[in-house]
Amino acid sequence: MLKLNRVTKNYAEFQAVKSVSLKINQGEIYGIIGASGAGKSTLLRIMNLLEVPDEGEVEVNGQTLTSMSGKQLRQARKSIGMIFQHFNLVANKTVYENVVVALELADFPKNERRNRVLECLQFVGLESMMDKYPAQLSGGQKQRVAIARALATNPQVLLCDEPTSALDPGTTADILGVLENINKSLGVTIVVVSHEMEVIKSICHTVTIMSDGEIYDTVSCKPKGMQRKENHPQYFVEELTKDVELDHA
Amino acid sequence: MLETLTQYETEIWQAIAETFVMVGVSILAAVIIGLPVGTLLFLCRKGNLLENQFVFSIVNLLVNIIRSFPFLLLVVFLIPFTRLMIGTAIGTAAATVPLSIIAIAHYSRLVEQSLLDVPKGVIEAAISMGASVKDVVFKFIYVEARSGLVLGLTTSIISFISYSTIMGVVGGGGIGDFAIRYGYQQFKTDLMMYVIIIMIILVQLIQFIGTSIARIIDKR
Ligand SMILES: Nc1ncnc2c1ncn2[C@@H]1O[C@H](COP(=O)(O)OP(=O)(O)O)[C@@H](O)[C@H]1O
Ligand SMILES: [Mg+2]
Repeated sequence: MLKLNRVTKNYAEFQAVKSVSLKINQGEIYGIIGASGAGKSTLLRIMNLLEVPDEGEVEVNGQTLTSMSGKQLRQARKSIGMIFQHFNLVANKTVYENVVVALELADFPKNERRNRVLECLQFVGLESMMDKYPAQLSGGQKQRVAIARALATNPQVLLCDEPTSALDPGTTADILGVLENINKSLGVTIVVVSHEMEVIKSICHTVTIMSDGEIYDTVSCKPKGMQRKENHPQYFVEELTKDVELDHA
Repeated sequence: MLETLTQYETEIWQAIAETFVMVGVSILAAVIIGLPVGTLLFLCRKGNLLENQFVFSIVNLLVNIIRSFPFLLLVVFLIPFTRLMIGTAIGTAAATVPLSIIAIAHYSRLVEQSLLDVPKGVIEAAISMGASVKDVVFKFIYVEARSGLVLGLTTSIISFISYSTIMGVVGGGGIGDFAIRYGYQQFKTDLMMYVIIIMIILVQLIQFIGTSIARIIDKR
């Protein structure tokens, strides 16, 4: 459903992505992990042509993005959602306005926009925050709005660049839960870039490890279903037991 | 105070009206032409949406040249152009030409600076949603930069008032010209003081309104 064929990205002399090929299956949660500067974000941004590769092809939903006109590309991007580490909401728009703009861009029928926005906000549990501005929300809530915005146009793929790296552990777990739910209940293919092992381990079906602009390895993994209990107090006890010896007071 | 003012009432109102015309036209020019020019500067800048070194350099140079003229010299320099546009280089209408030119250059620079403050990530999010350049500008950049745009316009309007005070040299009239002709040249120092007070109040008022609007529309 998403294919990269020998994509290369250069910044002047520096090669950030070196002839990378990969294939992501429909309905998968695909993780990309690696050290800072490995080229993960660049690779992800190549997937919706936010970065235009110097060489290679990008294929999403059977369409070759790299051979499209500007207009076709804009159209194709409406079925590729994206969320970011710093949320990138419009601070001067309310939660509602932030989501509805995605529908305006997609020429979604005017009289159905409101219902669609409410539906998406309900999905992320924020319908009551509709008239608030991003500055009035917590980090986790902002990311939920960004997710609602990305989902509004019913994308087939959701690209996530460090979606939880600006969040605390509890909120990280919530957001990962939302992503997992999107994948399960809506069948959306998800690509997650992260430098945090916990994030990748807890939700990804396939994981690619990047290093110096290249794919080091790709493995598939099954979550053992013990992760997301982070909000339960017992989680903290278990986490502590992993690394330190406990003595109950 | 009231005595001197009532004595010159008609002249003062006339001068105020002339100032309003000159500053009003400058504001229109700033918004209708300066805003797009500033946006073009922003978009053509290196690394931005319409990156274009050639267009950027030319527009940038033009704006710099206009802004580096001492304003009085710009007015004189533009006389042939003004005559071409209006048919005459003398009078309030003619005065609006050089004022509009400086207004465009002045405000476009402030627009460019306000737009540069918009977080790159917001623009990226817009592009990732399939927004065209026009959509990015109108639905994202202007929305996010709106309080900066208002503050910039406020600063510009105050400068336009100041620029307009010297338009007496081409018969543009206005409140500054009045202060010089009646107050300074006819030694009516009190009259000049009153005019200055009127201008201070006017500028305070504009700044207050501009700052308040900018604060109200800023949700960041
Ligand atoms: N716009 C750019 N200009 C120059 N170098 C860049 C640019 N974007 C990324 N890089 C470089 O490319 C490399 C990979 O960056 P990135 O994909 O952001 O890494 P990661 O997301 O894995 O931390 C880094 O060394 C970074 O400095
Ligand atoms: Mg990164």
